[in-house]
Amino acid sequence: MKTIDKIINWSRLKSPWIIHFNTGACNACDIEIIAALTPRYDLERLGVLLKGTPRHADVLVCSGPVTKQIEDRLVRIYEQMPQPKFVVAVGTCACSGGVFQGCYNVKSGINAVIPVSAFIPGCPASPKAILDGVIKLLASLEMKEEKE
Amino acid sequence: MRDSNKFKIPIGPQHPALKEPESFSVALRGEKILGVDIRLGYNHRGIEKAAEERTYIQSLYIIERICGICSHSHSTCFVQAVEEIAALEVPKRALYIRTLIGELERVHSHLLWLGVAGHEIGFDTLLMYTWRDREVVMDLLALLTGNRVNYGVNTYGGVRRDISPEQAREILKGVDILEERTKYYIEVATQEVTIIQRLSGVGVLSREDALKLDAVGPTARACGVARDIRKDDPYSAYAEVPFSVITDDHCDVYGRTVVRVKELMESYKIIRYVLKNMPEGPIAIKAPRKIPAGEALGRYEAPRGEDVHYVKANGTEKPERVKVRAPTLANLQAVKHMLKDRYLADMPIVIAAIDPCFSCTDRMIAVGYVDSNKAEVINWEALRSYGIEWYRGKGIDFSKLNKEFSRRAIS
Amino acid sequence: MTVCENIKQQLAAQFPGIEERVKIPRPRRIFVDSSIEEFKKVFEYAINELGFKHLCTITGLDELDKFSLIYHLAQENGVLLNIKISLSHEDPVVDSIIGYFPAAEIYERELVDLFGIRVNGLPEGLRYPLTDDWPLDEHPLRKDWKPKTAS
Repeated sequence: MKTIDKIINWSRLKSPWIIHFNTGACNACDIEIIAALTPRYDLERLGVLLKGTPRHADVLVCSGPVTKQIEDRLVRIYEQMPQPKFVVAVGTCACSGGVFQGCYNVKSGINAVIPVSAFIPGCPASPKAILDGVIKLLASLEMKEEKE
Repeated sequence: MRDSNKFKIPIGPQHPALKEPESFSVALRGEKILGVDIRLGYNHRGIEKAAEERTYIQSLYIIERICGICSHSHSTCFVQAVEEIAALEVPKRALYIRTLIGELERVHSHLLWLGVAGHEIGFDTLLMYTWRDREVVMDLLALLTGNRVNYGVNTYGGVRRDISPEQAREILKGVDILEERTKYYIEVATQEVTIIQRLSGVGVLSREDALKLDAVGPTARACGVARDIRKDDPYSAYAEVPFSVITDDHCDVYGRTVVRVKELMESYKIIRYVLKNMPEGPIAIKAPRKIPAGEALGRYEAPRGEDVHYVKANGTEKPERVKVRAPTLANLQAVKHMLKDRYLADMPIVIAAIDPCFSCTDRMIAVGYVDSNKAEVINWEALRSYGIEWYRGKGIDFSKLNKEFSRRAIS
Repeated sequence: MTVCENIKQQLAAQFPGIEERVKIPRPRRIFVDSSIEEFKKVFEYAINELGFKHLCTITGLDELDKFSLIYHLAQENGVLLNIKISLSHEDPVVDSIIGYFPAAEIYERELVDLFGIRVNGLPEGLRYPLTDDWPLDEHPLRKDWKPKTAS
């Protein structure tokens, strides 16, 4: 890994900025994502900060099975994020469409539309699982750093 | 009747590539809102069609996931309709357990709402406190059902899980804690000047309009309309459980806040009563896989208001038709009406105050300035920040309260 | 006499022949099959004289040889009056009730999108719940509709 990449990776490791997007979910996962940011679970102590705009975000945290109405916006948000960027699919719907697989107005999960870096299953994914998933993503970045 | 204020939002050349539709279109004359168009359907998944292609048992899982905040509401409403068609006599103990879970759900939902409302007006420490307290309920629900959300408690003919004396004791302990905290929230809501100033006179809906526009839930009750399905059209155990329907006469967002915090106290009463008077007996009777031909309308007072499920059965193991009308849809016309002639800065809290069952966090708002013929598209975060700043300019600022709350130690 | 029986009697007195088309499956639930011709009068009678002032929703049904609509109206005391009418399958058209219930607009838009029922008197507005680019002749809740491609 080049020096500049190491620095970026390090700062990502220490403080990933996330943007949260709901692609037609029932809201259960979204609430667990926000709950993960509250003091009991405290995603913030990992340096994770919730940002309002994709242009400053490193990680796109996505819930929902991607409805037709929202698909374009999802792609737009992904395109607006600077590199390197990562996508976390939170909840079974985001991973595979969940109970909505086969419904006429949904795709079957986030990775039907954009590349996904980490899948966190659960219906909904609990805040603990979300924490675990984020930590694993950060660890894989660290491992990537060590390899290079 | 339809108003003659037809407005067209001019979307200027700044947005030639705006592919995704905006969720809200607002026409502004000066600072005042002429009208709002709300585009729903972003979370339209095709559930009603799916239900026709799945068995009743499979449909139950998808119905429960219509909304992740009131999943038990949808599940119970649906199950009630099917049980009515099949003429199933659900054991009393099951009805009491459904009531218990339903009220725990109302508690988590109202606490969640309090936090979200706080966030929308810039009172973020309230979000931290209420969501911390909400974890007490989430733990109880997980203890009773195995999940924090989407409890899977219902089955046709009853419930799938019983409640033990130990669990009952845990619930009572939890309710005691929450009652203390809620008393504090009532104090804050009714005595903190900044909150009263911020929320009073905002999102006004007269009693007549609430009735004319078919508003439901706390939105209607805050306009003095004593409409609560638990009292008007009792289901589960509510015909036997003593409780009061909470109404308020402020007709605004402040009133909607007061109704919800007071409803929390009623929920604690109901939970205690249900536990104390839980009937003995089975928790379910056997239900047929094929539901005989017939139709029924289920009604349920979800935390947001009246939930309606129409079910038509045709003698097979799949429903012929399932129609769901969630409470948020019912309050749609009312919310459009509340925003007319108000300030753009009011939009976030007025919409939040109907407790919408859609995630606002990333919705785009197209704002059209009728006088200058200009338009812009902003996201919800930007609108929220704008609202907080605008009110700060009027002297209503939550920074002090946030600091104060962060210092206070709530046991 | 129960509240529902009372309402049935009142309907019977006002609309000859309707009595046999009124069903009371349980307390607080009345189902009425109304003819298209009498519907407007029955509807207005229910709202103005019987106190059914709250519209819960409108359900559309594809019954293969016809489309049916059920208007679910409620009284403050919890009684629900479900008025059903039938429309032709080839050309289903009905008048809007937004003059009585402004909240009906969204329920009627649903009928347009999901069943292809024409609603006279619906003002110009955003469609619901389908996307703007959803083909205008595809109506997912029709019994013969299947998604074209797997999602």
